[in-house]
Amino acid sequence: MSTGVLMYCFDTPQTAYHRIAERSIALIKKNLKLPVTLVTDRETHNNITHDVDVDYKIIEKTNTNNFRFYRGHTVPWYNMERARAYEHSPYDCTLLLDCDYFCYTSNLLELTRTDYDFLLHNRVNDITGLNRIQTRLESTLPIVWATVVMFTRTERVKMIFDTIQYVQKNYEHFRNLYRIKFRNYRNDYAFAIALHQLSGQLKTDHFIPTPMNMLPHEYDVLECTDRGIVYKYNNKVNLLANTDVHVLDKELIHVG
Amino acid sequence: MDIGNIKKYSDLAHDLALTKRNALEKCRARQIMAYNGRLFRANADTINLVHTLQAHSKTFVILDVNDNPCEITDPADFLQRLIERNQETLNTLNQLHQQLKKRI
Repeated sequence: MSTGVLMYCFDTPQTAYHRIAERSIALIKKNLKLPVTLVTDRETHNNITHDVDVDYKIIEKTNTNNFRFYRGHTVPWYNMERARAYEHSPYDCTLLLDCDYFCYTSNLLELTRTDYDFLLHNRVNDITGLNRIQTRLESTLPIVWATVVMFTRTERVKMIFDTIQYVQKNYEHFRNLYRIKFRNYRNDYAFAIALHQLSGQLKTDHFIPTPMNMLPHEYDVLECTDRGIVYKYNNKVNLLANTDVHVLDKELIHVG
Repeated sequence: MDIGNIKKYSDLAHDLALTKRNALEKCRARQIMAYNGRLFRANADTINLVHTLQAHSKTFVILDVNDNPCEITDPADFLQRLIERNQETLNTLNQLHQQLKKRI
């Protein structure tokens, strides 16, 4: 059975996501030792350093009006393609990762050695200790995080991704139905809605049993090395070593 | 009262608390291990459960982290792996705590 990592990466005028992906891929190769397939568009592909050992799947990215808020600005957000991960993945067992998720351990490999066909996080750990990631009353359904998803090729998983695409097409309806506070399209909610609908509108209870570590975008990454990340906030500098983490500061592409 | 010194101590206490908290999360994340197609926590609860059941039966069924049943057909092997992973993670945590003691 083949196992590999699938990642999506599209540069925007504001952020050279490919540079974040290059760092992330290097860590995957070092710590997970898995093949990587990068789904990207022609323009981003041309920007990538081509000694990166990955397979590419070049697609036309969907024109979207989707946006996200980042440090007081509204920036474009290309996040629609993730719903097609089932068809894009060449692997029997896939670890679908955000390109800004940094694997400093081999912990994710444990998920691939199970009989589970679909696992993702439903809890998050703000590593700064301030719990800024999630506020209360954001929607009427419990959120899941689409940052890290392990899936295999089963009928059920295909149905999950089909439902995610259906939710995406009709997102405004589902956003109202579940009273989701955020107006933009978020994969986290699309995945949560799909799982809720497919589980007969009951709570799903198959999750990655540990919270996902996140570093909020208010924190500046000062250094990003093979061992960990040095970050700063309010003149306090801290090191996070040998821990998988989702980094929201996109300026990290400029640090050493 | 030296307010500057108190603030310095408070900052240090904050940093230490945060470091300990993240180290504990890291330890718990590493304790998750796959066995027989299921996921288990290599913590004291699982080790005690497996040890107790092993004393009564050669095979038994326990629930994994997502409450799915899993038949354990080789308890000695499972227990060995649980203890190894548990001690690996706790040794790392202990080393960090020893380093932090020196900072106070």
